[in-house]
Amino acid sequence: MFSKKMVMVIGVIVLIAVNIILLSIFNRRYISYYNPGRIAISLIAPFQKASSSSIRFLRDIWQHYFFLVHAAKENEYLEKELGKAFERNIQLKELKLSNSRLRSLLNFQEKITDRVLSAEVIGKDPSPYFKTILVDKGKNDGVEKGMAVVIPKGIAGQITDVSSHYSKVLLIIDHNSAVDALVQSDRARGIIQGGAAGQCFLKYVLRKHDIAIGDTVVSSGMDGIFPKGLGVGVVSSVIKPKSGIFQEVTVTPYVDFEKLEEVLIVLNPKQKEFESKQ
Amino acid sequence: MTYCLHICICLCLVVLQTTVMPYIPLFDRFYDLLSPFVIYLSIFRPVREGIVIILIFGFLMDNISGGPFGLYLTAYVWLFIGVRWAITFLHVGDSLLIPFVVAAGVLMENIIFIGTSAMFESGSRISEGVVNTVFIQVLWALFTGPFFLMFFNHSHRRWDHWFKERFVKNN
Repeated sequence: MFSKKMVMVIGVIVLIAVNIILLSIFNRRYISYYNPGRIAISLIAPFQKASSSSIRFLRDIWQHYFFLVHAAKENEYLEKELGKAFERNIQLKELKLSNSRLRSLLNFQEKITDRVLSAEVIGKDPSPYFKTILVDKGKNDGVEKGMAVVIPKGIAGQITDVSSHYSKVLLIIDHNSAVDALVQSDRARGIIQGGAAGQCFLKYVLRKHDIAIGDTVVSSGMDGIFPKGLGVGVVSSVIKPKSGIFQEVTVTPYVDFEKLEEVLIVLNPKQKEFESKQ
Repeated sequence: MTYCLHICICLCLVVLQTTVMPYIPLFDRFYDLLSPFVIYLSIFRPVREGIVIILIFGFLMDNISGGPFGLYLTAYVWLFIGVRWAITFLHVGDSLLIPFVVAAGVLMENIIFIGTSAMFESGSRISEGVVNTVFIQVLWALFTGPFFLMFFNHSHRRWDHWFKERFVKNN
């Protein structure tokens, strides 16, 4: 009834259809909560860690012993200090604005909890289209899915998958990432989503807000993942279309994701203690 | 034992791709190193051998990547099927054709990735950066792909030779 060629064509079409349906199902329901996914990460991560450590070790030898010993150390120290100063500056700006809106009546809480865990980046996403990293801390260290990942300069991403010793972090520059954020000067709220070439978009910002290039974008804390007031990035372009209710805001993240080596995982937000003052 | 060799090569490629290459400026937009290996398996190795390795490493790559689960599996399986089909009418053993086969394979993988992203994400558009990435990857594949295939073929021959000398003769 059907020729062999016809059967083959139909077979290929059916295969493509089944493939698209399966991809669609897995795209909606992230499958690697299940054990095989964790096993895969656990299998590859030790090799990645060994490789990263070796590279870091060799690079450190080069930088610290052969290539301007003193300059490299001083540079490292100054970068750390600059990072701390940067974070302090953003926190102070936030505090000032809060005070100006008479919110000093409330007890100001630390922007970031004391319970943070440092982790080393041991691998990057194999595809240039997705932005994830693997870090060397997992469930055994108290890491859980959904925890925020930060560095002193700002927000890096959030944990999306955890195995016993390793975790996968979805970076804020990935197009699947979303962070509730606000522009520090104008208090305009929006959602930070990953864009092209390491940039982010601040989406759903109403046209009525006056946002300028160079404005600082910080986390709003409303997503329940990232503590409020952490630096996200700086506004690099603003386009107000003639129609529509939103404006297009591009944000350059503070974090240099190409050079990300160590991160801090926010283990759990400090619980508020409601004490009655008598 | 052949499977062990394939697994070792793939592991090395994945580790190289995820830990070393992102930090080297010239190689930060290099193509997926497993795609020339999939092409090698489809041209030079039996189907059952290729399928097993593709399923294992497609699954592994899907788990360490941030893309939808099954994306790498899809890309590798279709790449394997495509090359197997191509060798029915092309003399791919001819070294002149190999660079173009690898480049076409890398292009196909990128099209699957971009197509899947476009299909499942509302409002997604192909940016200039994506086009640049694809172009750079295809160029890389055109010039370096044949060397990878030669290396895989050579290591496999050496392995076979060593294995036969060591174990088959003893028995």
